[in-house]
Amino acid sequence: MSGGFPEALQFSFAAWVNRLVDWLVLHYGDHLRTVSDQLLQLLLGLENLLRLLPWWLLLVLVGLLAWHASRSLARALMLPLLLALIGMLGLWDKLLQTLALVLVSTGLCVLIGVPLGILLATHPLARRLILPVLDVMQTLPAFVYLIPVLMLFGLGKVPAVFATLIYALPPLVRLTELGLAQIDPSLLQAAHGLGASRWQRLRRIALPLALPSIMAGLNQSVMMALSMVVVASMIGARGLGEDVLAGIQTLNVGQGVEAGLAIVALAMVIDRISQAYGRPGR
Amino acid sequence: MKKVPTLLASLLLAFGLASTDSAAAAEQPIHFGAIGWESGALTTEILRLIVERGYGYPTDTLPGSTVSMEVALARNDLQVIAEEWAGRSPAWVKAEQAGQVFALGDTVKNAEEGWWVPAYVIKGDPARHLEPLAPDLRSVDDLKRYPQVFDDPEAPGKGRFLNSPSGWTSETVNSQKLKAYGLNDLYNNFRSGTGAALDAEIAAKIKLGKPVLFYYWSPTPLMGRYDLVRLEEPPFDAAAWATLTDPANPAPKGSRSLPAKLSIGVSKAFRDAHPELVAVFEKVDLPIDTLNKALARMSETRQKPRDAATAFLRDNPAVWKAWLPADNAAKVEAGL
Repeated sequence: MSGGFPEALQFSFAAWVNRLVDWLVLHYGDHLRTVSDQLLQLLLGLENLLRLLPWWLLLVLVGLLAWHASRSLARALMLPLLLALIGMLGLWDKLLQTLALVLVSTGLCVLIGVPLGILLATHPLARRLILPVLDVMQTLPAFVYLIPVLMLFGLGKVPAVFATLIYALPPLVRLTELGLAQIDPSLLQAAHGLGASRWQRLRRIALPLALPSIMAGLNQSVMMALSMVVVASMIGARGLGEDVLAGIQTLNVGQGVEAGLAIVALAMVIDRISQAYGRPGR
Repeated sequence: MKKVPTLLASLLLAFGLASTDSAAAAEQPIHFGAIGWESGALTTEILRLIVERGYGYPTDTLPGSTVSMEVALARNDLQVIAEEWAGRSPAWVKAEQAGQVFALGDTVKNAEEGWWVPAYVIKGDPARHLEPLAPDLRSVDDLKRYPQVFDDPEAPGKGRFLNSPSGWTSETVNSQKLKAYGLNDLYNNFRSGTGAALDAEIAAKIKLGKPVLFYYWSPTPLMGRYDLVRLEEPPFDAAAWATLTDPANPAPKGSRSLPAKLSIGVSKAFRDAHPELVAVFEKVDLPIDTLNKALARMSETRQKPRDAATAFLRDNPAVWKAWLPADNAAKVEAGL
C-alpha cells in the first residue's frame, strides 16, 4: 500500500532510532537518572517551600507583587482572588505542584534562553544554525520526544520539566534576539566611543533597551509552559493537569472543566504580573 | 446558464448515490474494530485471516477508541470487536441489555491483572551482576519489609508503586489495595499518566536492572518478553472486591482482582447473518503462554500484526484447527 510512490526510493530509519534509544538507555541511563535526581531535589524543595507558606500569606504575596508590577489596586485585589478561587475548588495542593513545575521550567528557560538569544543576535552563523532547531522544537509533537526522555530520566516531574523546556524555550530566544536586533546601533557606537567595554555595553545599554521584548518573550514562555501541564501529566507529573487528564479519560467533563479553568486562572495571574513588569516606562 | 452547474451537481449526486447502492449490493466487507493494544491487534488479525481464507468473506478494519468502537458495534457500523473485556464499560452493558451486541466465547482463559516485580529482584541475576534485593518477597504482605528497595526519588523514604493512569478503573482498585494491604504509609501511590508512559518506565527499569514494582495485566507483550513474578494476594472474594472498587470505602479488604473474561464482541446483525462464524468464534481459545510469547516476539521485532498472525497460525496449527470444520481449516492452512 505505498500509494504509488516508487518502492525503490522508500526507506525507513525507525529501526536505527530504536537502536539508538536502547543504546542510550543502557549506557547513559544511570548517569542521567543521577542528574535527574538533583533537578528533582530543586523542584521538591521549591514545592515544599510553597507548601510551608500559609495559604493567605501566598495570596498576600501575590497581591503585593501585582501591586508592585502594575500599581493598580484593582489588579492587586483581583489576581489573589483568582488564586483563592482555585483553592475553593479544592485544588490548592495541585496548584502549588503546578506552580513549582512552571517556575522551575521558566527559570531554566531564562538561564538558557536569554544567553542563546544574545548569541543569535550577535553571531549571524549561530542564527542560521539555531533558528531551524527552534522550529523543530516548536512543532515536533511532544509525545515523540516525551517517551525517550522518560526512559532516560525516569517517570515523573523531571521529564516533564524537560518537555516543557523544549516547548517553551523558542519564544524567549526569538524575542530576546528581536529586542537586541532592534536597538539603534548608534547608541552602542556612542557607548563604544565613550570607552565602554563589550560587557558594559550589553549590560547597561542593550539589555535594558531590549527588556520589554525579553519580558514579552518570558510571558510567552510561561504561557506555553502552562499549556504543557496536561501533557506533563501524561508522564506522571502531578498537578492540575492530572485532574484534566483523569476527567477526560473517565468522561467526567465537570472535573475536567474545573481543573482546566484553574489552569486558565493561574495563567492569567502569571500573565498579568509578568506583562506589567515588561511594560516600558513603568 | 445558471442551470448548468445545478444540473451537473444533481447528475454527480445521482451518480454517487447509484454507485454506493451498487457497492452495497456487492458484498459488504465484515468490519472489525482496529484495536490499538497488542493482544487485541493480534487477535483481530488471527480472526480476519480465518474469516477471509477459511470462509472467503472480505474484511476490513475501522479505527477508534474503545468506547467509540463499542458504540459503533451497537449500531452495526462495526460487526466484530476481537478482544472485548465484556461488562467493564457502561456503553457495552447498555448495548448488551438492549440486545444489540453479544459477547461470544471465552477467548483467553487465565487472563489476569495484579502486581508484579521482575524476577531478578527476588532471585538476582548473576549474568548481569544483579544482587537479589528482596530475596523473601512472595506476597503483597512481604512488601512491608522492602519499601527502600523500590525507592521513590519524589517521596524520599517511601517506595514507589507504579499504578495505572488516573481515570482507569484499575487505578481505583490499586489505590484501595494499597490501603487494604497496609502499604499506604510505606509506598507512594504513583499514577503513571498514560499506558505508554507506564510501559516505557517498566521497560527502562528492566533494561537497567533496577527494581520496580508495578500494576500490570496479561495477555501482554511485557509478560512474554521478561521474566516477571506476580505477587500473591488473598484469594478472590466478592464482598472484598466490592470494597476495592468503591473509592469512597475507608476500610477496604484485600482480594485478588476479579478474573478477567475476554470475549469476541459481535453485532446483532452479524450474529443473525453468519451463524457459521458465530460457531467458530464461540470456540476460540488462545492459550495465554503461547499468546504472550507471540506478543513478545511481535513487539520485540516490531512485526506487523498481520504478519504476526500469519506466523501464529503457521506455528500453532493444533491451537486453531479445533475451532472450525476440517474443510474450512484446510482452506485457511492452504492460504498461509
